[in-house]
Amino acid sequence: MADTAYAYIIPSSLILGTITGFVMHRADFCLAGALRNLCLFRDAALLRATALLVAAAMALFEAGRLAGILPGLPFPLLGPASLATATGGALFGVGMVLAGGCVAGSLYRLGSGSFLSLLAVMGLVAGSALYAEIHPWWQVLQRETTLFADSLTIPQLAGCDPAFVTVPTLVVGSVFLCRWWRAGLFHRRAHAEGYLQPWKAALVLAAVSFASTLVVGMPLGIATTYAKIGGYIEEFLMPGHFAGLSFFRAIPLDYLPPFGGSRLTGGPGPELDAIAAIQFPLIAGIVGGGAVSAVLLGEFGAWRRAPWRQQVSALAGGIIMGLASRMASGCNVWHVLGGLPILALQSIVFCLALLPGAWVGSRILVRAVIRT
Amino acid sequence: MKLMEFDIRGQICPSTLLIALKEMNLHRDALRSGEVQLAFKTDNRDATITIPDAAANMGYGVSVEKEEGYYVIVIEAGQ
Repeated sequence: MADTAYAYIIPSSLILGTITGFVMHRADFCLAGALRNLCLFRDAALLRATALLVAAAMALFEAGRLAGILPGLPFPLLGPASLATATGGALFGVGMVLAGGCVAGSLYRLGSGSFLSLLAVMGLVAGSALYAEIHPWWQVLQRETTLFADSLTIPQLAGCDPAFVTVPTLVVGSVFLCRWWRAGLFHRRAHAEGYLQPWKAALVLAAVSFASTLVVGMPLGIATTYAKIGGYIEEFLMPGHFAGLSFFRAIPLDYLPPFGGSRLTGGPGPELDAIAAIQFPLIAGIVGGGAVSAVLLGEFGAWRRAPWRQQVSALAGGIIMGLASRMASGCNVWHVLGGLPILALQSIVFCLALLPGAWVGSRILVRAVIRT
Repeated sequence: MKLMEFDIRGQICPSTLLIALKEMNLHRDALRSGEVQLAFKTDNRDATITIPDAAANMGYGVSVEKEEGYYVIVIEAGQ
């Protein structure tokens, strides 16, 4: 019975989402800001915290796999890397900088009353739906440019037990993390009330990603639901056109949930399926967590308007991010919190492509959006 | 002493820091001589770290106060 699985998946996603939104707001843990600050100010503080997040998640996933409690690795929905992933990743980098936050950052800020994030989320829905128009030939590109079709992760590519790759990676990574720690580079001099140091937020987010994989069967994923919402709107407004879009009929998710229940399936189409059961509560939780944190601090933003250039940037950035997340078969949250820690090739390609995209986005932001 | 206020609440990241940097450079002489203080109103939590850090690195004195739902970062001549 699918209902059996939904009984634990829905509340778990809601709780994990709420923790994520709360923690990200307290630390202002912005994955878009991590790359943007590096490009604009040579400030790597948030990027170092992100590296800690990935390392902690890698250690947890590997420990879970060795203990036999994560039998589903690599996760469902993870595909092979391709040129499509790289293109999507670069475009995503542009979009997240223009939007002022990634798919999760826009949600917790929306919860804290940011009008620009509301525009970014609207853009994400529009961009995800827009992808349906190019889906048929983008799939061909993806197929034709696939790298290592039979390998989803580096350990699979190397044909060895994952521990032979993850353990040395963690050892080398720990050397850098320890150096940064000793140099005090993880600590930020904060003045904001209730501030959570990003390194603490990173550890919590790594634990959330692990808990999601343990209970739900996969790490945090958000972006397919933006497509789903777009599908609902498009089906309502243009039913004839909608009927001809194959993207909304795809069912990429088909897996056995970890704690009982029959197989669950789902896709980007406007159906209340497994994707909806997993991601809707997660999104509601992130928005709610950001809202609770902001209200408790008396910092709810009350939808204050920004200059029109910034509003256009947030909306356009959201559209680009939505489109790019579908082109790359996943958003940054999926790839950074889930794919990178298990050394998924698709996630590595996506994250490498993010940097040049973020650099281009930063240039556009400074020259055309923020007119100082 | 003249207090110059800038309300940059609700703006996209990282415009808060960029605007603060621009104003600090624009009023550099008056800031250093103690003729003016710059006050930035922001609701961006990260800006309460980045602006004071940037100002301190440039040798200015900085204070951060929380008001009703936002922060006021005041930059003035260093000690």
